[in-house]
Amino acid sequence: MTEEKYRHVYVVIEHIDGKLLPVSLEMLGEARRLFDKFNKRYSSTEKVVAVVLGHNVGNLSKTLIEHGADAVVIADRPELHALINKIHTKVICQICLDKETAAKIEPRYALEFERPRYMFFAADGIGRHLSSTVLAELDSGLASDVNKLVISDLEISHPVKTGGKKVTYGKTLEMYRVDFSGFLWTTILCLDNLNENYPIREYSPQSCNIIPGAFEPLEPDLQRNGTVIEFQPTIDEDDLKIKILSQKFVESEVDFDNYKAVVGFGRGIQESPEKNIKLVEEFAKQIDAQIGISLPISKNVFSASPAITSTYMIPARVIGTSGKKISPMLYIAFGISGAMQHISGMEDSQFVISVNSDENAPIKDSSDILLKGRMEDVIPLLIDELKKQIPTIEVK
Amino acid sequence: MAELNLAVVVKLEPDLSEGSISYNSDGTLNRNKTKNTLGPHSKIAAQAAFYAKVKYGAKISIGTMSGHAANNALQIAMETCDADVLQLYSDQKFAGADTIGTAEVLKNGIEKMKGKMDIVFSGHRATDGETGQVGPQIAWKLGFTFLGNVISYDVNLEKRTVTAKRLVNLRGIPEIIQEVEAPLPVFIAIDPSYKYYFDTVSLRLTAEKYKREAHERAQHYNDYLQTFNREELGADETLVGLIGSPTIVYNVQRVPKGKATRSAKVLDGSNPEHIRQTVTAIKEAFAAMVIK
Repeated sequence: MTEEKYRHVYVVIEHIDGKLLPVSLEMLGEARRLFDKFNKRYSSTEKVVAVVLGHNVGNLSKTLIEHGADAVVIADRPELHALINKIHTKVICQICLDKETAAKIEPRYALEFERPRYMFFAADGIGRHLSSTVLAELDSGLASDVNKLVISDLEISHPVKTGGKKVTYGKTLEMYRVDFSGFLWTTILCLDNLNENYPIREYSPQSCNIIPGAFEPLEPDLQRNGTVIEFQPTIDEDDLKIKILSQKFVESEVDFDNYKAVVGFGRGIQESPEKNIKLVEEFAKQIDAQIGISLPISKNVFSASPAITSTYMIPARVIGTSGKKISPMLYIAFGISGAMQHISGMEDSQFVISVNSDENAPIKDSSDILLKGRMEDVIPLLIDELKKQIPTIEVK
Repeated sequence: MAELNLAVVVKLEPDLSEGSISYNSDGTLNRNKTKNTLGPHSKIAAQAAFYAKVKYGAKISIGTMSGHAANNALQIAMETCDADVLQLYSDQKFAGADTIGTAEVLKNGIEKMKGKMDIVFSGHRATDGETGQVGPQIAWKLGFTFLGNVISYDVNLEKRTVTAKRLVNLRGIPEIIQEVEAPLPVFIAIDPSYKYYFDTVSLRLTAEKYKREAHERAQHYNDYLQTFNREELGADETLVGLIGSPTIVYNVQRVPKGKATRSAKVLDGSNPEHIRQTVTAIKEAFAAMVIK
């Protein structure tokens, strides 16, 4: 493999009507940190490239450069204003494979460049689908919901990829993702097929979509310089038959922001879900709290009456990386063990009380008080005491 | 003659419902002891196809890639949408596939179904894998317009178009509802919040009729089942399974314990004094609000 064929990290920037989503700068920040190390370690000059699609978005390039981009590739066309997966996928792929663009990013390897080495998308309502279709077109590997990235040279022996031989894969992107239980961390690699028994195939870019909030953006550096490249995309007439008829913002069906207290429940309801959820409901009423859940609860894991299921066991109530990030003055977690995904959604709460039968549950490390006990035993006692101490609580 | 030709791709998943799921003592899923069933999001995809069958008349084919245990998932899916054809794609060579390798098999399967498809449905994402990549990747390989997170849709049979409402969830801003019109064929990944609704008595009667038919058919689902291996499917050996997968799972580890951000005071829930202390802390948390 020649080093010059695959270069740079392309970061697909997300914005709504020219307003950047926070995840865009978070991805750039991580790309910058990785590439500062990368270029030093490999004595290289590869770039962090921000890719922007939209209409009247030229003003974004300054912010993107200040936040870590070496180059900003902008496709600015009225047809790109609406988020249409098919059109955006094709334009992004055109940018990835365009040698002229690559020559402007880094003239030195203009002739050798074929594709980006790495590619980052956001793991959200835009980037999830876009990353999937772009990588289907580019025919390379994609890891999703990533929250940690490492670049390293790995010695790999794999029955299919290497035919069992030990091979060193240089500049490999280790992409970490947390599984659905929240307790296992899986490292995904995108590796070339080097097994002689099969067709040799090189996979580039090594790609992932990144969980919003997983990485920190950089402090803006107003002195940073970067190249701005205007890209002229080709848009298929046929694809313009896909039309956006309307687009509007709606408030979520569950509002956490206007409550000063939030009560969450998790797998601890398992012994009698219906009864326990009703207890949580009654408790929440006492302190005028909104009710949230941990991820597993939203997956029809426990049976309860339709009224309870349709009110509480819904994705809109999930607190964590797969749901909402909350920061109330008070958060009380009933029967939630504290998977990393959940913690990242509640750790900004001012004061945290967790009720758990296991006093060493991981949530302890994110709690101010851990009240040991089963929720069915403890909640009635808390309600009685609340009624005694706070006969009428007014917090709104 | 059916007006629409529909396909649903479904997935057999660990059954996460009470009584079926088994966790290891460290909180991870015990896959050996957990039963399998039709994935909940796949079921919603089948319901979405049923809506078109009742409203417009349609022929529905269901496809899944799995071992033979997936028969059960196909049967439930058939009962959900009154499908006409069930297809199982099963081959040792499919094993170990990542999303691209999986999408390649399902794309070949859909192309094997009779007639040209108008709409292909899939679930939002698998409960166990959670990537949500396979749907859009099948769509891309088929050359269909991909519509994700669809919460409702209707078809204009004359214009041969679909209008769909999509829920777009982005961190940091309110949710967006986008209404989009696209020419057939389309690939729809259905949002978990999708629910069909029939607004006329005649549609409700039609739905009842098909539900009875579906129940009958599902008893004898084997009569409708077609099984394909790689060769029968005509799938390129180098594009499926482990060989056709760019990515591998390199390592699985416990998520390391984060640094403790707070030092919890441990209280005993059976001790009345500790209950009192807890409620006092709740009170103080509220008091702190007032000061702020």
